[in-house]
Amino acid sequence: MSDPVMTAKGLVKEYGKGATLVKALRGVDLDIPRGSFTCIVGPSGHGKSTLMHLLGGLDHPTSGTVIIDGQEMFRLGNKELAALRANKIGFVFQFFNLLQSLTARENIETALMLAGVSEKEQKTRAKDLLDIVGLGEKADAKPGQLSGGQQQRVAIARALANDPPVLLMDEPTGNLDSEAEAEVMKVLENLKQQGKTVVFVTHSHEIAARADNLVHVRDGQIQLPHDLKIAS
Amino acid sequence: MTPSKLVFKNLTRRKGRFLFTLLGIMIGMASFVTFMALGGSLKSQIEKESAALGANLVVTPKGSCAYEQVSILTGEQLPTNITRDEVAAIRSIDGMQAIPYLAERSAIDNRPVSVMGILPEETRVFKKWNLAQGGYFPAEDSEGVVLGAVLAEQFGLLPGSDVRIRGANLKVLGILEETGGKDDLTVFLSLPVAQNLYEQIDLVSYVAVRVDRLDEVELYANKIKDKVSLGVVSDKQMRSSVLAIVGTVNMTLQLIAAVAILAAAFGIVNTMMTATYERKREIGILQAMGATRYGVFRLFLIESGIYGLIGGIGGAVLGGLAAVFATPYISQNAATSFVKGSQSSLDPIMFAGAILFSTLVAMVAGLYPAIKASKLSPVEAISYE
Ligand SMILES: Nc1ncnc2c1ncn2[C@@H]1O[C@H](COP(=O)(O)OP(=O)(O)O)[C@@H](O)[C@H]1O
Ligand SMILES: [Mg+2]
Repeated sequence: MSDPVMTAKGLVKEYGKGATLVKALRGVDLDIPRGSFTCIVGPSGHGKSTLMHLLGGLDHPTSGTVIIDGQEMFRLGNKELAALRANKIGFVFQFFNLLQSLTARENIETALMLAGVSEKEQKTRAKDLLDIVGLGEKADAKPGQLSGGQQQRVAIARALANDPPVLLMDEPTGNLDSEAEAEVMKVLENLKQQGKTVVFVTHSHEIAARADNLVHVRDGQIQLPHDLKIAS
Repeated sequence: MTPSKLVFKNLTRRKGRFLFTLLGIMIGMASFVTFMALGGSLKSQIEKESAALGANLVVTPKGSCAYEQVSILTGEQLPTNITRDEVAAIRSIDGMQAIPYLAERSAIDNRPVSVMGILPEETRVFKKWNLAQGGYFPAEDSEGVVLGAVLAEQFGLLPGSDVRIRGANLKVLGILEETGGKDDLTVFLSLPVAQNLYEQIDLVSYVAVRVDRLDEVELYANKIKDKVSLGVVSDKQMRSSVLAIVGTVNMTLQLIAAVAILAAAFGIVNTMMTATYERKREIGILQAMGATRYGVFRLFLIESGIYGLIGGIGGAVLGGLAAVFATPYISQNAATSFVKGSQSSLDPIMFAGAILFSTLVAMVAGLYPAIKASKLSPVEAISYE
């Protein structure tokens, strides 16, 4: 695990100022090994989502850097950062991932469009991606016609659309019942077999147990294994 | 997927709101186009009427104002107080031709029509009229009427028909060839018969004068003023004051249309603001997928622009139709009576201009919502629940 696809160095994120200052991240150093199945765990409100947003280039840190494929993310201008999000990162949120006016297939096509893929290629690739998550049949369904688990699978297919080196998922099963969670986990398991780099946040011990790289976040910091032992 | 397909999917996701917003801009543009088309035709019609009058000078009642001059061109009723002696004095001047008219109103089948008392023979020559059907006044004081071509057709009148004017049954003697002016919509009587019918014994409304030498119009105006104490205007003065009045009326109408468009523009602002708010989370998702701020801005701006484009096309078509079909039914007044029976001026450049204008207005209206949408930070947009 000497070749990290993504590295965070000294990430600090503060919200507000003065009396309302919140230190969401207090200096995070983190390597995401290529091909790893990295799981981030920790109590609510301790900075997991904040960390994911910074790793995904959705927000700027107060200080610190994120390097992806050797590129320093926050040195990029708005346009380059958007292009990086389109091509190098697939993001899955906890819920409402899909554009409601578009079908499953069109949602995926939109991600491809934003990466500059031609309309013709969008069509075939979108179909393949839906097959990968087992939803080839539901290509023309709108999000409202899909179950929660199906919607998250479409979201995963969309995150995979431009074959990004890393997938970031913030509690992708957090809103699902156990049956739907199992559906989604099956898809994730497949990605793991294929050697995809996946970083995801979860509260489920069962899911965390499948990770090959477990990261504990507490009070905006990473807890090292020996600290954990002392704490327990 | 393409950006324009994405725009259309978003545009039509709330069908009711889409339609009502569209209707707003469409109605605004339709009224604008209608008034523009009418305005264009008014101007050309005034030029035509002025030419049809065939006069270089018009003698009007003393102290008559611009509004009364409009009436001469439109065939409205005028204060009638020019006496027989005054007419005789004007007609005694050499080097010019002077024709008196009595302008009155009546109704056929409850629809208002212009009635003119004329000197049959002199007027026919003066105006170079030709007969289309039937005969003409056999004598200077003949009973009966001669009709303009359009009026005869509108009311289905033929030589030999009876027309009721001011309670008197009169025979239709003949029908004139179409002139393209208001004469087409006028009932002509011989002057003595008209004066009797309207109890204006020995009085006329105005006198049209044609001088033999065009460079002496000014000179003859003064000659007339020396003889009689009446108002004298040249056709040029008359045309410009009429155009000024009509221009004002026209501008007022267009201003009303502009207010309607402004209201529609605020409708677009409202719709787009609501859309921005509703799709806050989707904006965040788009950005997470790699949309730039400019990309989001453009999506919203085009979406609002399409309201203007479709509204402009629909408005131009509706407005054009309204101008063509509604024109003959517009109630007659000094400004709109020029339009009766005339074709509206439907100019393709005006149509293109209207569509462009409407699109621009809608894009300006969408500017603020689009900027707001593009300024959302992805995290802020996604955290919204
Ligand atoms: N946009 C924000 N503005 C202010 N405070 C925030 C914002 N986002 C998160 N926080 C705060 O930062 C801390 C970490 O939040 P978060 O990263 O969402 O935690 P987690 O995902 O682990 O539950 C919390 O105290 C939260 O209230
Ligand atoms: Mg969270």
